[in-house]
Amino acid sequence: MRSYDVCVIGSGAAGGVMAKELCEGGAQVMMLEAGEELPPSRLLSHRWPYELPYRGLRGEKQAPFYPPDISPVVYQDCDHITVDRVRVLGGRTMHWNAVTLRYAPRDFRERTLAGIEEDWPLSYEEVEPYYEHIERNIGVCGQDDHLEILPAGKHYLPPLPWRCSERILARAAQTMGIPVIPVRKAVLTVPYDQRPPCHYCGHCMEGCDVASIFSTPDCMLPKARATGNFTLRQNAIAREILTDQEGRARGVSFIDRNTKKEEEVGARIVVVCCATIESARLLLNSRSPRHPQGLGNSNGVVGRYLHGHHGGGVNVYLDELAGTKPVNQDGATDHVYIPRYNQLAGRREYAGGWGVQVNFNSYMFPYQARQLHGYGRDFKAQVRHLQPGFLFLGTFCKATASAENAVTLDPHRVDAYGIPIPVIHYCFSENDRAMWRDQAQSLVELCARLKATVFTHIGQEPSGFASHEVGTVRMGKDPRTSSLNSFCQSHEVKNLFVTDGSCFTTSSEKNPTLTIMALSARAADYIKRQRRLGEL
Amino acid sequence: MKIVALGVLAPAAWYRIRQAADVPDLAWAAGDYRLQFFSEEENHFLDQLMEMIIPAEEHSPGASAAQVSLFADRMVSSGDADEKREWRTGLKLMRDEAAGSSIGDALAKAAAGESDPHTEIERFFVVLKRITVDGYYTSEIGIRQDLNYKGNTYLDRFLGCEASGGPARHPHATGDPKQ
Repeated sequence: MRSYDVCVIGSGAAGGVMAKELCEGGAQVMMLEAGEELPPSRLLSHRWPYELPYRGLRGEKQAPFYPPDISPVVYQDCDHITVDRVRVLGGRTMHWNAVTLRYAPRDFRERTLAGIEEDWPLSYEEVEPYYEHIERNIGVCGQDDHLEILPAGKHYLPPLPWRCSERILARAAQTMGIPVIPVRKAVLTVPYDQRPPCHYCGHCMEGCDVASIFSTPDCMLPKARATGNFTLRQNAIAREILTDQEGRARGVSFIDRNTKKEEEVGARIVVVCCATIESARLLLNSRSPRHPQGLGNSNGVVGRYLHGHHGGGVNVYLDELAGTKPVNQDGATDHVYIPRYNQLAGRREYAGGWGVQVNFNSYMFPYQARQLHGYGRDFKAQVRHLQPGFLFLGTFCKATASAENAVTLDPHRVDAYGIPIPVIHYCFSENDRAMWRDQAQSLVELCARLKATVFTHIGQEPSGFASHEVGTVRMGKDPRTSSLNSFCQSHEVKNLFVTDGSCFTTSSEKNPTLTIMALSARAADYIKRQRRLGEL
Repeated sequence: MKIVALGVLAPAAWYRIRQAADVPDLAWAAGDYRLQFFSEEENHFLDQLMEMIIPAEEHSPGASAAQVSLFADRMVSSGDADEKREWRTGLKLMRDEAAGSSIGDALAKAAAGESDPHTEIERFFVVLKRITVDGYYTSEIGIRQDLNYKGNTYLDRFLGCEASGGPARHPHATGDPKQ
């Protein structure tokens, strides 16, 4: 069995940063990835619907990221949520929308400021250098809008030009004191990082075939490989982290997806980057005499505090643009963003808030055709008339972290590789529901100020997680209610780190990926220092 | 292996990601398509119904030219038993209704309850219209000829509001970067 300095498990946003930073720091890194590489030629993003077996209506474009051997998951006594697990090299960076937002200083201090949840064991000031480092590294378009709620870096690529619908939205939002700003996305608007700028096809979330959106395989792994210190093993499904007699991690047992045989890799340090559900699952499944409840889980916290985003959406057809000559509006999906604004009007009876993403739905399919009543000439003409006026708003609301919401293992059911499957337990809190009602009302109010035909998709109750689940191996000051310290290091197992979204103490309304990458970079720095000191 | 949800209703999701049961050939050509579920008579009847829902007019062809009934056959034949039963029954209801009056009247009657369907034929109209809409607006005729969609292409720059000839009365908004 070969042995490495570090084994990184998972090749998504966290794993990619880890591998690159540690390799550049001189460590011999083995990366295990359950999926395999999906080259641009196999992406279906540019396919017309009529070139797909079911016109794209049965998720064909997403199917390459979701092979059939992904473990099933059980939802037990859950509110309306789903968790998102891919199995592909690059993880969800292969089909993410690339909205990259920094957390605000207040987002790390929920307990102190709002009296709920816990404070993070670090401050914005401690993460800030890593936000800057990542933004410079990957290329983020946008600008500094001088907003307390959305801090900015010093180095952005030119922001995306606004569509007419976004100008109209901004004028209406202004009457409510709601700011609309250029979005920040890890999509290139100029050549950068030896990659070409975006070609504005609108298929961000179906796979970028030109590497203009950040993805681990396009952006991080080449840098890792360039050091000569990087080894990648694809189709390797981590089953258990192996420990020695002192209870320290010593390697990883994994199953080869093709041969179905079990193999081992040795490592002095193990970094878990499997994403929220799978990271908790892996730790819970890594049981030994020293860790009977799972690795680093003597306090029973691993798997707990699962949460993510909830929200709703609105399809708007602006009167001013309806009936105008169709133009290509695809762009890079979101070009503008509405940062959290509910704190501007003073205290509410709930904590937290929401941000609004704009225009990340396709311009190709006329959603209004599924909503308008009637049929025949007039119906057809009305669908056509409205289409140029399309504006889509989607809210992303903070959900609170609660110990009862958790992922556990089903001891009696295993997946195709004999690994116990995850069971999800999740209910929204009163805080979540109060916020959900307020954001729905606010959305309706905003739409009322737009002269438009409006179709809301808010539902009867909150639903989540918008692929932003976090929290199951949380960092914290108190080792009784957390699993990791501020460097993503396990309280109990000094050579174990977890740096994906599972490490979040709480969730802001902002998309988590940039923070995942910054925390990974910070943890990587710590690992490099500790290695130099001979501590790890 | 499908993602399994046990014990609760299928939760609402941001993205309805269901794994395609198989992704055999990437495209299927309507030209050499063979009916898998509908009979020839059902298909012909369905074609007429769909053409009434989205008809040809001066601007663009309708559901018949877009062969939406074949799309429906593709989807229903690969759907579950409940869906198949719903279609068999629904089409029969419509044909029986049409036999007593006309196809047009039958469709109008079925559509009358669209905002709040109660009867079986009213519920079937909702299903029928939905698949007509989905099939038409994912066809080349629907996307390119009817909607005149300009996207899914490769641009070297994105034309924002002004540059794309947007109406002049959209003044530069605060925060909007100069183009």
